[in-house]
Amino acid sequence: MNRVVVTGIGVVSPVGCTIYDFWSAVVEARSGIGPISIIPTERLTARVAAQVLDFDPVAHFEPRQSNAMDRFAQFAVVAARSAVRDAQLAIDEELALDIATVIGTGVGGQNTQDSSYFRLYGQNAPKLHPLTIPRLMVNGAVSHVSMDLSLKGPTYSVATACASGTHAIGQAFHMLRFGQAPVAIAGGAEACVTVGTLKGWEALRVLSSDTCRPFSKTRSGLVLGEGAAMVVLETRERALARGARVYAELLGFGMSADAGDITAADPDGAARAMQAALRDARTNAEDIDYVNAHGTATTLNDRMETVALRTTFGASADRIAISSTKGVLGHSLGAAGAMELVASVLALQMQTIPPTANYEEPDPECDLDFVPNTARQGPLRKAMSSSFAFGGLNAALVLGRA
Amino acid sequence: MAIVDEVRQIISQTLKVPIEQITPDTRLDDIGAESLEIIEIVFELEEKFGISIPFNPNQASPSSGGAREPDQSEDLASQTIGEVASAVESLVDAKHAS
Repeated sequence: MNRVVVTGIGVVSPVGCTIYDFWSAVVEARSGIGPISIIPTERLTARVAAQVLDFDPVAHFEPRQSNAMDRFAQFAVVAARSAVRDAQLAIDEELALDIATVIGTGVGGQNTQDSSYFRLYGQNAPKLHPLTIPRLMVNGAVSHVSMDLSLKGPTYSVATACASGTHAIGQAFHMLRFGQAPVAIAGGAEACVTVGTLKGWEALRVLSSDTCRPFSKTRSGLVLGEGAAMVVLETRERALARGARVYAELLGFGMSADAGDITAADPDGAARAMQAALRDARTNAEDIDYVNAHGTATTLNDRMETVALRTTFGASADRIAISSTKGVLGHSLGAAGAMELVASVLALQMQTIPPTANYEEPDPECDLDFVPNTARQGPLRKAMSSSFAFGGLNAALVLGRA
Repeated sequence: MAIVDEVRQIISQTLKVPIEQITPDTRLDDIGAESLEIIEIVFELEEKFGISIPFNPNQASPSSGGAREPDQSEDLASQTIGEVASAVESLVDAKHAS
């Protein structure tokens, strides 16, 4: 069994596209949530989102390349390029044949779907653009990353709604652990700020109309976000041999399904995923110092998650620092787990616990230490990042210091 | 604008090739048009002129006993811009006549 480490990070986020910008906003609880400006809002009731505003495809792509890509695939490619650069990974032809690429996305090419259906039903156009399917397919992101970086090993997309990014990184981690690849690019990408997607979420009555306040008594629902986060994973042996900078070690990955309700999450299912991750990491609950929680700021999720955290961590639950970074990053569905894993990796490296932004008032039903609004210094030994998706699909990762 | 110039412009925009490089004698494959790009060009021409171009690279050809005819997009690729423009012109004329 190989040990697996994180050697590169790339982000395209609502708070910036460099590790520095991302981390400083997360630590300072500076929210990337704001009024929606990238789409028309007159038909929306909730008019806030965590949008990626400083992203210009022209700065990153030749027109012929970007023309074939939905926004979520563009985010994925830019984040993957940054991660490879950050890892100072030299990809020769031989290594390219072995590199695994696993990318999570919840809903795929929503911008393409929205504009195509508007054309078809709104404008009664007789035909759609020939690139409609290649742009909207869920594997668009992972395929474009593979093409852009010439990665030819095991390559696939993972779609488990809000847990996609966590599942993708976990799958890639296990591939490396069991010798199926020496290096992986893994993460999540989403660009779901479209009129159609927002109307769908609006209908579920879970969207906040002001901001995202995880675990706060005054929380008012989730806020959608967008972006991508990618990590370069390598076997520890390989990373040390090439003198790579190591951010953190991936220690464990756990998954479970609720097999219950399609939207209401079950604390038992969430706890089983977190427990499985601890077992996989051969780690005791007492050794975890930080949990980056799912923390969507819906009434139900945060209450359910508090119960699940107590079940998982028992007597340690009251001692562990727990935060949701969704107050800063919004909920970027399939990218969320990857962004949060990156936040957890940086927390270990910087020995700093990111706070829960926008926190106002304790909720008796969410009675753990949610690190309200202000970051704390470590020491941090091990951390967990967890995601609990609609559809009852749960995933958690455990990481340790480099 | 003459139809041939509008065709040149559409091809230039779709392939991101400077319009000066596209003359009536240029063949589509001379300027690097690949199969999906040829389909995009067909789409853009249909949009621009309000016509329907009978083109399906997967269509079985009766002469080949129903087997896939693989080289129809290659046929189009080997046409010159002038030939494409005159085909468009006759479809536009047919539309106006009907």
